[in-house]
Amino acid sequence: MIKVNDLHKTFKAKTGLVRAVDGVSFEAPDGRITGLLGPNGAGKTTTLRMLYTLMRPEQGTVHVDGLDAVREAAAVRRSLGVLPDARGVYKRLTARENITYFGRLHGLDADTIASRTDRLVAALGMEDFIDRQSEGFSQGQRTKTAIARALVHDPKNVILDEPTNGLDVMTTRGLRDFLLTLKSQGRCVILSSHIMQEVGLLCDHIVIIAKGKVTAQGSADTLRRLSGEENLEDAFVRLIGSEEGLAA
Amino acid sequence: MSIIFTVMRKELLDLFRDRRTVMLGLFMGPLLFPALILGIGAMAESRAKTQLESTLELPVINAERAANLVAYLTTRDIEVIDPPEDPQQAIRDQVYEVILSIPEDYAERWRASRPALVEVLYDSSRQDSRIPVSRVESALRSYSREVATMRLMLRGVDPSLGEALVPGRRDVSTPEARRGMALAFLPYLLILSAFLGGAYLVIDVTAGERERQSLEPLLATPSSREAIMSGKIAAACAFGMLSLLLILLSFKLSFQFAGSGPFRGVDVSFVAMLKLLAILAPMVLIGTTLLTLIAASVKSVKEAQSYMSVLMLLPIIPTIVLLISPVKNQLWMFAVPFLAQNQAILMVLRAESISVLEWMVYVGAGFGLGLLLWLVAARLYHREKLAISA
Repeated sequence: MIKVNDLHKTFKAKTGLVRAVDGVSFEAPDGRITGLLGPNGAGKTTTLRMLYTLMRPEQGTVHVDGLDAVREAAAVRRSLGVLPDARGVYKRLTARENITYFGRLHGLDADTIASRTDRLVAALGMEDFIDRQSEGFSQGQRTKTAIARALVHDPKNVILDEPTNGLDVMTTRGLRDFLLTLKSQGRCVILSSHIMQEVGLLCDHIVIIAKGKVTAQGSADTLRRLSGEENLEDAFVRLIGSEEGLAA
Repeated sequence: MSIIFTVMRKELLDLFRDRRTVMLGLFMGPLLFPALILGIGAMAESRAKTQLESTLELPVINAERAANLVAYLTTRDIEVIDPPEDPQQAIRDQVYEVILSIPEDYAERWRASRPALVEVLYDSSRQDSRIPVSRVESALRSYSREVATMRLMLRGVDPSLGEALVPGRRDVSTPEARRGMALAFLPYLLILSAFLGGAYLVIDVTAGERERQSLEPLLATPSSREAIMSGKIAAACAFGMLSLLLILLSFKLSFQFAGSGPFRGVDVSFVAMLKLLAILAPMVLIGTTLLTLIAASVKSVKEAQSYMSVLMLLPIIPTIVLLISPVKNQLWMFAVPFLAQNQAILMVLRAESISVLEWMVYVGAGFGLGLLLWLVAARLYHREKLAISA
């Protein structure tokens, strides 16, 4: 369960202050998939970085299972599984070693790591590359390794930044099923995407972000009703206010 | 603690998978340094030997004016040859190192028993001419003394009246210390290896990871940033110590097999090697923490590497300062980084003993500075910018 209340974050740029996140609030309950949808540069990644405590909000609060993300950052990180925008898989380690390393950093013992790895390998379909060095992995193999690595400590809450970015159709479908499994296990799943169909298919709750602000949120049906458009794509475009940066 | 160990193990595994980098890092120094030192030593020695022991060819201008002097020079293994057309130019062109010129009034002054001038032409800016010039000058001096003695005796005067003082020299340096002098540049090589030996690894595990964007998921784990950073520092220190160990072993072996030469008798016992390793340990820590600090504060690997050229000069500063104004060993020196290492290494090589107090000041100051740098680096590791690379 993740509660986000009125987040603000600004960056200094050459042209002056940029309001990357400007008052974002939403709630992501357990057993649901919550999607952040918005064009490139809308502030999705910055919002997620504040959720997984890598950035400090200038204003507003994040609560993960009731814990404050600023004051109890270590405890929050323990209950989170994070797939950052940058996957950062170690090239010279095998997929298994990558997963094991993160398991150890989470303080797990070798047996637990081994059994969890086996389960994740089966669920994500990583059998044929699990013991290969990840140098030369395809985008899909890298993403799967990073996801397995993020979930090795069996977190209650899962945050995925653009999980299907750069994946082919088959891998995307497999990943979609995997996310639905996470949901059915009662986890709180938050993902960001700029692909409306994907969010529409997967998410129970959709938060539309544009220029750092939440322009609308609700289920796919609610959003259709709000915008007065029958077609989901038209609804998104209307709610964001422009067609800029949205991929069909 | 287990986090530090986990991170350290991963970094070393990651590094050792990169075979070529490891090979270069571990074996370049041990192969190159002894070859450098022994090669230069052997070259200097053989050069000096040929210049001292071979027949020196000395062009003499107007040799016919001083037949007796020419005959004397021949007895000193100096062969007199015809002078070149333009003697000054010949010396500037490095055709000859030294040329002797006998002026017109030489014979006249000689007969009148007045000091006769002879000119030695040479180029003082050329290292190479040092030995030939001193050979010629010493031959001229002894010829002058012999003739003067005979003149005094002919006039019935005791020749020893002409000498009021006879300065006698007694060199009290120990043989080990004399050999240690030849090693003045060894501390620089050792300190540099300790200080920057693991540099690329240190820069890679912080700035490189940031650039490859793997620092973000790493810092999103519940492990504390201090522990992660310490693990990385520990890995770099372990690698640095390993490469130092190999360098010291290579020095030991090559000095032992070098046989004669200026390096014979340098203290290369296992105890001395252990002492050197202990002396260099704080330097490894200082170098690693300093580079971690730099790597955590810059935007890219390239930026971090630009600091290297400046850092490489740091260890040579005390060597240069001591060369220009040599000072006695004093306790405060053991608290100054680089200078302390320089002094301590020289003491070990000269087989002098380092007192307990000196050790305490040395170790305290070295690790104290390392700890300070660690604290600053840890602060930088908490910066928001560090994890965010894109």
